[in-house]
Amino acid sequence: MTGQFSELLMFQVGARVFASTVRDVVRIGNVADAPPGALVEGTSLGATFARERGIVVAAPEGGTESTLVVDQVLGVRSVPEAEIQSLPAFAAAVIRSGAVSGLVLLDEAPTLIVDLPTLIRERLEPAPGRSPPPVATA
Amino acid sequence: MSPPRSTSAPRPTGSIRADQEAWFFCLRILGGRYAFEAPLVTEVVRLGPLTRLPAAPSFLPGVFTHRGEVLAVLDIGQLVGQGPIAIRASTRAAVVHCAPWKVAVISDGLEGLVVIPHRQLEPPPAESSGMAEFLSGVARDAQGTIAVLDLPRLVEAARSRAVPAGGAGE
Repeated sequence: MTGQFSELLMFQVGARVFASTVRDVVRIGNVADAPPGALVEGTSLGATFARERGIVVAAPEGGTESTLVVDQVLGVRSVPEAEIQSLPAFAAAVIRSGAVSGLVLLDEAPTLIVDLPTLIRERLEPAPGRSPPPVATA
Repeated sequence: MSPPRSTSAPRPTGSIRADQEAWFFCLRILGGRYAFEAPLVTEVVRLGPLTRLPAAPSFLPGVFTHRGEVLAVLDIGQLVGQGPIAIRASTRAAVVHCAPWKVAVISDGLEGLVVIPHRQLEPPPAESSGMAEFLSGVARDAQGTIAVLDLPRLVEAARSRAVPAGGAGE
């Protein structure tokens, strides 16, 4: 993050484009290079088509890294912080995932900003008595 | 009454008394005519492209932007178990403010404002399922029957029925 701008990594899962803050990302890699046990897919972001790329996310407190499987990494965009909005209060109150940290208006369309550590944690450790968040369909 | 053509807010109304007329905002949902208190509606907007949210309940088909503001969309049909309301390019939504929530209610069609003498409001049917659970009254005008929704209660029910992130399962 520099000044009044946020650096966002843009990536695609299925037909949809998402963003995440660059600081959550350790590196970008190929799925084929990642240890199978480190791959995370089937998240609430939806199903992948090509599952070629992986976004490596640090584990909290010295755990192993996780690799979120995505279809494409589209690059980094520098976005004025003024264009980043919170999720509407009603939406935040009813969705079953805490992995959406906000929205950014890109080309006049709301693009979801995903909290990658939370997304991965929800996939790997669903709350007791609950299933993992349902996988969205494209 | 013809559907509203602008995005201006409906006329506000005062408190409802038995000898007064009350303004309601009427829309069509899955074959029925429903209305709620007009002052809840801040504007009528054309629905923009929806961005779906992960792990969203069926009654929240997504969010969209209107004049730079991101609004959550509420599908009442899904909430009451009557099936989804079809979303088309021509779909418009009534933006309602049921404190503290602000949502865009979609419908199959917006009729706009209707005036109902309060004395003509009848009690809702005794059913307690589906849409009937959220009715506060029933009225009739030249076009037929209008079911009056208690919209704040409906929106609050939507919130309480959903499982928020980190909340207890149902």
